[in-house]
Amino acid sequence: MLSRVADHLYWMSRYIERAENIARLMQVSVELLLDGGGSSARKGGDYWSPVLAATAMEGAFRLLYPDPQPGDSSYFLTLDERNPDSIRSCIREARENARTARDQISDEMWSELNQLYLLIDSDRGAALLEATPQAFFEKIIQSSLLFGGITSATLSRTEGWHFLQLGKFLERADKTSRFLDIKAQSVDPSDTDLEALEWGTILRACSAQASYRRVNGTEFSAERVLDLLLLSTEFPRSVRFCVRMADEMLHNITGTLTGRYSNRCEKLAGALLARLNFAAASDVLDRGLHDYIDDLQVALNETAQAIFETYVLIPQDTTQNIIHPATFDPLGYHYQSQQQQQ
Amino acid sequence: MFLKPYRPADLFDELIDSNGQVRPYYQPVVDRLFHLDPADLAHKVKNLELLFLKHGVTFTVYGDERGTERVFPFDPVPRLIPALEWETVEAGLIQRITALNLFLYDVYHEQKILSDKVIPEEVVLSAAHFRPEFVGIKVPRNTYIHVCGTDLIRDRDGRYLVLEDNGRCPSGVSYVLENRAAMKRFFPQLFGSSGVRPVDTYPADLLATLQYIAPRQTALPNCVLLTPGVHNSAYFEHSFLARQMGIEIVEGRDLAVLDGFVFMRTTHGLKQVDVIYRRIDDDFLDPKVFRKDSMLGVPGLVDAVRRGNVALANAIGTGVADDKVTYAYVPDMIRYYLGQEPILDQVPTFLAWRDEDRKYILEHLPELVVKAANESGGYGMLIGPMATKAEIEEFRVRIEATPRNYIAQPVVYFSQHPTLIDGALEGRHVDLRPFILCGETTKVLPGGLTRVALKRGSLVVNSSQGGGSKDTWVLSH
Repeated sequence: MLSRVADHLYWMSRYIERAENIARLMQVSVELLLDGGGSSARKGGDYWSPVLAATAMEGAFRLLYPDPQPGDSSYFLTLDERNPDSIRSCIREARENARTARDQISDEMWSELNQLYLLIDSDRGAALLEATPQAFFEKIIQSSLLFGGITSATLSRTEGWHFLQLGKFLERADKTSRFLDIKAQSVDPSDTDLEALEWGTILRACSAQASYRRVNGTEFSAERVLDLLLLSTEFPRSVRFCVRMADEMLHNITGTLTGRYSNRCEKLAGALLARLNFAAASDVLDRGLHDYIDDLQVALNETAQAIFETYVLIPQDTTQNIIHPATFDPLGYHYQSQQQQQ
Repeated sequence: MFLKPYRPADLFDELIDSNGQVRPYYQPVVDRLFHLDPADLAHKVKNLELLFLKHGVTFTVYGDERGTERVFPFDPVPRLIPALEWETVEAGLIQRITALNLFLYDVYHEQKILSDKVIPEEVVLSAAHFRPEFVGIKVPRNTYIHVCGTDLIRDRDGRYLVLEDNGRCPSGVSYVLENRAAMKRFFPQLFGSSGVRPVDTYPADLLATLQYIAPRQTALPNCVLLTPGVHNSAYFEHSFLARQMGIEIVEGRDLAVLDGFVFMRTTHGLKQVDVIYRRIDDDFLDPKVFRKDSMLGVPGLVDAVRRGNVALANAIGTGVADDKVTYAYVPDMIRYYLGQEPILDQVPTFLAWRDEDRKYILEHLPELVVKAANESGGYGMLIGPMATKAEIEEFRVRIEATPRNYIAQPVVYFSQHPTLIDGALEGRHVDLRPFILCGETTKVLPGGLTRVALKRGSLVVNSSQGGGSKDTWVLSH
C-alpha cells in the first residue's frame, strides 16, 4: 500500500473516533448539567472545562476566547471551524482523508462518512444541535459506530484494514485514558454522592455502565472502574484492550510473531502492552492516577510517532537522492500539523 | 402531455424533425416519458442529484477558498443516437485519431509533413505545447494519444462537426458511467427494449490500453493513475477510474525516480511503476525539465520516460495536435497520411497569424467566435454576437498583440435537445464528447458525454460555466 494512503486511512479513522469520543463526553456532560451535578459546576467554574481538559483543548480555547461567554465553549467543541479538533473539524478531516484514499475504502463507507459530513457542515447540523443537543451527539456517535460496522462488513482484512484499526484503537486508548484523567484531577473523597455521579458519568461516556454493573453491582469504587476502563481484557474501550488491538494490527502489517518485534513501533507497542498486562488497579492508585495516565499518554504518543516514521516517512538513506525537498516537506508538514491537534 | 408546448427553434433539434414530427427512433422513449408525472420527474432528478452529492460525484469549483464541490446538473431526457448514424461518427473519430497519432509521430521524428509543406513549419514549431525536447524520442507502440475526448457538435443540417480534439488529459468519462448508472436506478422504465449499448466496459478497456504500452511486458504491469490531488476539479474522476480499474491513484510525492526507473513509495518500500496514466499537464510533470515550481510532478520522471523505463499515457507533447491552429490542418493531415477524405467535417477556421485571415477576423469580430489557441474549459473565448463592445475591443487588442494565439470561427448554432427546465421541456444546446482509446485496437466508447447549456440560448456547455449533462444512448439497431 502507498505510504501516503496508509497515513490517510490511519488519520481518517482516528478523526472519526475522536469526534465520537468528544460527542460521548459532551453527551454525558449535558446530562450531568441537567442533573445539577458536576464538581466544576458546583464550584461555579465553567461547566465545560473538564471536557476541554479531557480533550487537551484548554489552551486553544483560551487563545480563541480570551473572555469566554456562556455558550462559547460548547460552540468551540462542536461546530467551531477555527478549532481543529472540534467535532465538525474532525468530521471534515476524516472525510478529507477518506476522499483522498477513496480507492481503498468501500463505497458504503464513503457514503456514510460523506453524509455525516454533509449534515454537520450544513445549517441542518447547527439546527439539530440548537434544538436537541442530545440528538446531535447521538447522531455523531451512531454514525461513527455505523461506520465501524460498515467497515467491518465491507473491507478486506488487508493492510488498509490494519492501518484503519490502528488509528481507531490508538485514538480510543488515548481518549479513554483522558476520561479517567478528568476523575484523577477532580477527586474529592469527602463527597460520596458526587463520587458516584462522576464515576457513573465516565462509565456512561465509555458505554461501560452495563458491563460494570454486571460485575460489580451499583457500588462504585476507583479500583473497580480502573479494572474495567484501564485494565480489562474483554471490554472494547479499555486502554489495555485498545493497546492489544493496536499491537496485533502492527504485527499483522509485518507478519511478525506476537511477543517479538521487527521495528520500533512494534517494540514500543509491545512494551506498553506488557506494562498494562502486568499492572493492577492498586498499583496504579499507589503511583497516582494522574501520573500513571501521563506516562501512558507519553507511550501512546511515542508509538504513534514511530508508526509515522516507520511507514510513512521512508528512511532518508534509501531516498535522499531521489526525494526533492520541495515535494517532501508538505508531507511532513501535514503530519506535524495533525500531531499538534492531539 | 407536458411535451406539447415544446417548440423547437429554427435549429437542428435532436428530437423533432423539420416537419414537427418526433423522430421515429425517439418515439418509444417519448411515449414512456409521457407516462411520467412531471412533478415526479423533477422530484426524481432532485433525489438523483442528492445521491450524486452523497456519493461525492462532484467537481470542484475553483476560485473559492473552501474548494466548493458541486454536482454536475443532470437532465433526465436521454439523448439518442441511432446505430447507423453512430457508425459514421465512430468511423470518423477513428480516422481522425489515427491521423493525429501519425502526425505526432511525424513531427517528433522526420517531420515529413512539414518538409512537404502540407502544414507550415511555423504552425507546429510555434505551438505552445510542442516539445522540441522530445524530437527523436521513441514512445511505446509509436502511439502518442491513448485517450482522446473529441468534442462534436451538430450544425443546422444535423451534420456532426468536430469542434475540438482533446488529446492531452480529457475528462468527463466518469460522468458517462455515473449518468448511465443513475438513469438505470431512477428511470428504469425509460429504457424499455430500446437496445441501449452499454458503456461499462470502459474501465477494462482503459486498463488494457495502459497495459499494452508497458515497457516490461510482465503478466501484470504496475499501472498507476497520477493525479494533481484531492483539490483538483476532476479529482472525483481520477479516483473513480482508479477504483474501477483497481490500480493505485498516486500523487507526485508518492513517486520517486532512482537510476532512471520510477518507483512508488509503499509501506513495504519502493515498488517499480511501469505505466502512468497521468492526469497532470506536461508543464507540471517534472520540475527538472518543465516548470521548476511544480509541486505536483516527479523530479527525474522525464528522464525515465526518455530511457523507455516507464510509459506515459498520454505521451508528452500531444498538445501540439489539439492546438486550435493545428486543428485547421487536420483535414489535410487525414488526406496526407491516410489518403482518405475526412469522414467528419469540422468548423471553418480563420487563423489570426495569417495576414488576410486576421484582417477578416478584426473586421468581423461581432459575428465570430474567437478562441485562444491553447485554452480549454471554455476559458479565453469570445462569442461575438453575445459580447459587449468592451469585450470585443479587449479581444481586438489581444489578437493584434499575439496573433498566433488566436483563431476565429463562424458561430455555429449547434443542435438543441429538449431538456427539463422548471417542470417543462425546453430546447437547450447540446454537444457530444465521445471517448476514444488507442491501444492494440482503437475503440470508441458507444455514447459519450452529452453536455447541455442550461441557460436559455447559451452556447457554453462547460461544467465550470453553467453546463449540465445527459445520458447518451447509442442504439444497437
